[in-house]
Amino acid sequence: MNKLFTCLVCCLIFHTSLSAQEISVKGKITDSQTLEGISGVLVKIDHNEISTLSNADGSYQINLSDGYEHLTFSSSGYLSQNIFVGGKTEINISLVKSETKGVAPKKSNQVTVGFGQQSKEELSSSISQINTDDVTPAPLVSLEQSSQGMTTGLMVQNSSGKLGGATTVRVRGGSTLSNSNNPLYVVDGVPLSSGSQSNLNPNNIASMEILKDASAAAIYGSRAANGVVIITTKSGQDGKMKIDFDYQAGVSQSPKYLDLYSADEYNQQLIEFQIRSVPNALELDQYINKENLAAWEKSETDRIVFPNGNEVTLPAFLSQLTHNTDWQKQVFRTGLSHKANIGLSGGKEVLNYYAAVSYNTQEGILVGNKYDRLNGSLTLNSKITSKLSANMSVNYIHAKEYKLLDEQDLGAPLQAIVLPPSDSFDPNNNYSLTVRSLEYNPLTEINHSENLGFNNSVIGSLGLRYDILNNLSFDISGGVDFSNQRDERRQGPETREGSITGRSQLGENEYRNYIGNGYFTYSPSFGQDHKFSLVAGVSYQKTTVASTFRVARVNSISELENLQTGTTGLTDIDIPNGSNVFASSFWRLNYGLMDRFNFQVSGRVDGSSKFGPKNRYGFFPAASASWLLNKEPTFSHLHFMNLFKFKASYGLIGNTPLDDFLYRSNYYRLQYGNSQGIGLLNLANPDLKWETTSQLDVGFEFEFINRITGSFDYYVKKTTDLLFPVPVSQTSGFSNVFKNLGSMENIGLEIGVGTLNIETPDFSWSTDFNISFNDNLITDLDGNNLIVGVNAFLERQPAGIFYMRKYAGVDEQTGQALYDNGFGGTTTDWESAPRQIVGDPNPKYFGGLTNTMRYKNFDLSFLIQFVGDVDLYYATGEYLSNSGILNLSQSANQADRWYSPGDKSFYPALDPFQENTNPSSRWLQDGSYARLKNLTITYHLPESMVTKWGLDNMEVYIGGQNLLTYSNYIGYDPDVNYTDPLNGTIGQNISRGIDNFTAPQPRIIMAGIKLGL
Amino acid sequence: MNTVNNSEKTSIKSILLLVAFCLFATTQSCDEVLEIEAEGNISGDIYDTQENIEKALIGAYYSFGGINDGSVGGELMGGDFTLIPTLLARRNNLEISWDDVNGPAYSNFMDKDVLATNDRVSANWRRAYEVINTLNNILFNIDNVTNASVKSKIQGEALAMRAILYFEMIRLWGGQYSNITLNDDAIPLKTEPITEVKQIETPELATIQEIYTFVEQDLTTASTLLEGLAKNDENLSYYTCQAYLMRLSLQKRDFPAAEGFANTIINSNAFQLADTPVEAFNNTANSSEDIFAIQQTTAFSAGDRSTGSGLPNYYSSLTESGLGVMRIFGFSLTTPARVNGPNFSSIDLRGTINTNVNTSTTAADISTPFYTNILNTSLLSSSKFMRSDRVIPRIRLAEIHLSRAEAVYEKNFKVIDPTALSDLNLVRNRAGLPTLQEDDFLTSFSFYDSLILERKRELLFEGIIFHDLKRWQGKIGSSSAISQKFILPIPQTETDTWGN
Repeated sequence: MNKLFTCLVCCLIFHTSLSAQEISVKGKITDSQTLEGISGVLVKIDHNEISTLSNADGSYQINLSDGYEHLTFSSSGYLSQNIFVGGKTEINISLVKSETKGVAPKKSNQVTVGFGQQSKEELSSSISQINTDDVTPAPLVSLEQSSQGMTTGLMVQNSSGKLGGATTVRVRGGSTLSNSNNPLYVVDGVPLSSGSQSNLNPNNIASMEILKDASAAAIYGSRAANGVVIITTKSGQDGKMKIDFDYQAGVSQSPKYLDLYSADEYNQQLIEFQIRSVPNALELDQYINKENLAAWEKSETDRIVFPNGNEVTLPAFLSQLTHNTDWQKQVFRTGLSHKANIGLSGGKEVLNYYAAVSYNTQEGILVGNKYDRLNGSLTLNSKITSKLSANMSVNYIHAKEYKLLDEQDLGAPLQAIVLPPSDSFDPNNNYSLTVRSLEYNPLTEINHSENLGFNNSVIGSLGLRYDILNNLSFDISGGVDFSNQRDERRQGPETREGSITGRSQLGENEYRNYIGNGYFTYSPSFGQDHKFSLVAGVSYQKTTVASTFRVARVNSISELENLQTGTTGLTDIDIPNGSNVFASSFWRLNYGLMDRFNFQVSGRVDGSSKFGPKNRYGFFPAASASWLLNKEPTFSHLHFMNLFKFKASYGLIGNTPLDDFLYRSNYYRLQYGNSQGIGLLNLANPDLKWETTSQLDVGFEFEFINRITGSFDYYVKKTTDLLFPVPVSQTSGFSNVFKNLGSMENIGLEIGVGTLNIETPDFSWSTDFNISFNDNLITDLDGNNLIVGVNAFLERQPAGIFYMRKYAGVDEQTGQALYDNGFGGTTTDWESAPRQIVGDPNPKYFGGLTNTMRYKNFDLSFLIQFVGDVDLYYATGEYLSNSGILNLSQSANQADRWYSPGDKSFYPALDPFQENTNPSSRWLQDGSYARLKNLTITYHLPESMVTKWGLDNMEVYIGGQNLLTYSNYIGYDPDVNYTDPLNGTIGQNISRGIDNFTAPQPRIIMAGIKLGL
Repeated sequence: MNTVNNSEKTSIKSILLLVAFCLFATTQSCDEVLEIEAEGNISGDIYDTQENIEKALIGAYYSFGGINDGSVGGELMGGDFTLIPTLLARRNNLEISWDDVNGPAYSNFMDKDVLATNDRVSANWRRAYEVINTLNNILFNIDNVTNASVKSKIQGEALAMRAILYFEMIRLWGGQYSNITLNDDAIPLKTEPITEVKQIETPELATIQEIYTFVEQDLTTASTLLEGLAKNDENLSYYTCQAYLMRLSLQKRDFPAAEGFANTIINSNAFQLADTPVEAFNNTANSSEDIFAIQQTTAFSAGDRSTGSGLPNYYSSLTESGLGVMRIFGFSLTTPARVNGPNFSSIDLRGTINTNVNTSTTAADISTPFYTNILNTSLLSSSKFMRSDRVIPRIRLAEIHLSRAEAVYEKNFKVIDPTALSDLNLVRNRAGLPTLQEDDFLTSFSFYDSLILERKRELLFEGIIFHDLKRWQGKIGSSSAISQKFILPIPQTETDTWGN
């Protein structure tokens, strides 16, 4: 009876709800960690006005129209979640605290695009997002480094393990040959030209968006050809004041030490060097071998008598070479680092604020290398009236860098590894070597000179938004990016270059970058099925650079600074000032049809003062479209499919040369004798015009069963009218000149997959994997080519391909090095051997794998980053692994060189008369690697405990950076990209994959604490 | 509904306004906005005023003197036109022990195996043509110099400088002038100015004959233009032109002409030999015997050890200036067997050695032509180029005297002409050697040998003997001086741009 009654009631209710067309869904919203209910969570039906708030215990109920809607759960302090109801009547959900690092955070649904925001679903272009929550708390100095391996299409390469070293960032391969291939950085709406992004405090960044395809980047027009990285700094949220504090300490060390000569092996090399220096050395070949050398070395004789009666006298200093110095230990050290950050945020709708100060000090793993940085930032958002809102942000940077000499200079710490291990040095005698006092000990340079870099920069922006109408608003913003970079270098009288008098040099660069934007956003409504929005505006940017450089033989920077221009002995180098203006207008039209189709077209007209009057303007249009398959009625029954989006885009982006005024001849001031004169900097090229990159992108994105997300992109990027330093006959007085010439393409594939493998209240595990493939090809250079060192730009080859003589082993009878002669045979004549393509420094693929796990209050996350199918040129080997030709200390494998006829060895005989290091593929190496980039274990103290202490949250963590590396690479670190500073921007783009006494990325172990109150 | 319509109308108005605004912004004002200038920059076609042409000529001198500008330095007359021929003429490990670690770029010259990839070969090649192009521009626009006397001065100096560069280049990159080689292709002869990128073309090689003819003509014209200006301060002068014409005539073995040019200089009495041989070097201004010298100052020089370029970096082993890379074997200075050695006698002031040196010794302490190499004490350093703030003598009166003596002798080799003998004695006496009489020579041939030896002594390590050996068809080591290996290759960076 009771049963029957229940049935009846049920039927009735069911019937009632059917007839009323009212379906509802209910459930409970809990905190992912405390598992307690959260009150006041806004539960909103997408594309609808209906919403409700959760009750005190976290329960909610909301009425639906058909049960197939999407619900967004949002609450201050938590990451929003978007859930597809899919016919369910009860949905329990746990929200993750937005400050808490951990379980596969559902990322924000809003993506910053140029001049506005768009929802991820509506987005039809390719944008990668890096949330700061994803960025590890490693004590990395630069922002670029922290994004390595984090997302598709973004290749980050470190130039060296030196602190403050430049980082190479490539979005979908380099698209130009001459310009800096680094992307355009836009911080809070200010496109930077100072390079200050490297010095932003990673803690202050709310999100980074990487605009990869033409459609996304086109709105930035010029300079966006290499992609755009939009950096949004943190801003305050409504609510009570929140204070975040964190502190971190780290210890860094070299992850690897090379296997170098022992003292004995070096002395044996010296003996061989001496024997082979005598006029009739050839007759003595037969007696030279490892065993004999060891015996001669051991006998401590000063004269060797050979069985054939010849005698060789050994140098007198050999008997003094009895020390045993591990030079690597002398120049590597354990570096300590500290980082502290304090942030305040809060506010009401009328004014939100976020302010932070951080201090970072880090010691490098090489002696003498240190980096100190102070960051301050303030962000204010204000809703002044219901129609007018304003936002302001200021980032201040002060950095002091204790720099090292350039890697290839004598005096750079790592140069010590070629010093004789059997020698020693005396700190009381300027660190000069005890025996071979002519060799320059880098410790002399480090201890008797200062090499400081100071950076004072401000990035500031102020924006106003006025809602003219419900659907029409006007934004106006202005920004500045000022940077003063000052390099002081004093070399004491003890140093080589500063001998007797000391030497001081001072260089200053003053960047001033002003930006102004104004744009309208108009989004009229034409009913449910048609969504329009139009953005149109103008932009103005002016950049000026003023540089000075002076040097004199004085032993103090202040003395140098006080010298009057024209003083005897003072050299003031004239560096012409730079200045350029971009004036642009742009528009973008978005159209959404039936929530399923999204279209976007945009255009930008850019004018640049870098070109001559006839070529100043470029028009850069783009279009894209996307189709949300999951919203098609046909597929609506596929409940597992939360999102399936097809997208395609095509567009053009322009690029300008890095230098100003190349369209005309420019001169610099000089002095000869006592007369003032001028010298030519460049030949005029009034025909210089915009370099254009077109990009086609097709791809799809998906999310299944709320657990599996992914994206797939295929792109073809073609750059034409390459702005390129074309090598020309030097009878023009120049080795190369800027011209528009040739074309290049990058074709690539990007795959990103994220899975939420396990999610239970106690344990969760998620995985993110990304891999990018890029094929670069110079399609046309009009028959030209450009060769810098062992790298080249050649037609039908990837840019920067390794082009050098091909090593073909050692002649067994003579011990001479052999080179491929180009006709299938070999030659011993290095110069007559033709240069050929021997490798490619551009990785074929790269990516990262992140795993994040949570067990109760513990989080574990680790990132494995990898780079594959890439070659490196171990230029260090020209000195460190050259069979001892210059009598430098060698890597241990050189003891296995050729000694006497019949020896089979990869390393030729020691030829004391050879001075040229003869670059060849002998030093070409496989540069692929996989690396445990970072690992962090975090413990979140239980909320019940920390609240007693008056805290909102508290966590402690320990972690490591560069813990393991799997690679066959012979040098210190395959993550390397040395560029000779003398080669300038051109050299930086041609020279790739070179390791020239480059320090490795440090292995860092760190621990930290984060507090919130 | 009406309100909505109104607001839509308003917004359409706003849009129109916006579009108009954008159009205006991009079309009307942009040209002005983009027409900007950076403070203090010098740019554009600058050869339209006398002042700028004068400044451009100073710029040409700057590069002609290989002044170090931070990335390049020590090329051309400021170093390599002295150093490269010096090394090519000297024997490795018998006369000079070159420190390959500190001077790797020059090892090729020491080894007589000069690669087309050699950095110094390409650096000098490029910088020479850089100066030539500046000079071509000056000469092309010479009519913009309004003052007639200034015009002839600038024109004369520009013609002379261009001719000197071509002459120095043809002697290094070309074969020795002779009937057999006259029509050999050598180096490009550029005389038209290049101001724009599109004017750059793959050059054609001119023959040795063409270059010599060109040099001779221009030096002659320059001579005429500069004749009234006497020594023309420290700039290229009438006498410099005469001296170069003399060198050119000698190289062509046109001895009567060489004698004539030498006579002009000597008879003018504009120059006197310095009191002692070492006083001819390391001066803050031209010495009394300098016909032309590169003007280095403390601020602008070709470099030293602090820049890693310039002559002092290699010649000097003084802590203040050099790395002592050019390490000289003491025995090579006195051993008679050295074919091109100076064979100094013990009383020769040009062969004395200061052994009392250490790391705190400075240039002021050195008053001998040689001193113990401070960084490698078993070897010697030459004191000819000790500091980067001292002028670099390029042509000295002593050379003119010795050249005249040689020219006079060649005119009639059967007799010992009194002029030739007095020229020889002038140089000998200055070096502390006794006067020689006609009777001291068994034959006129032994007079000639004495003359040649004197030249090898007086001009040692100044980059002159190398070119003499070519015209004498002498030997360097076991090879003939006119062998191909003593001719510099055209740099690979140049030939790489020529296509096929």
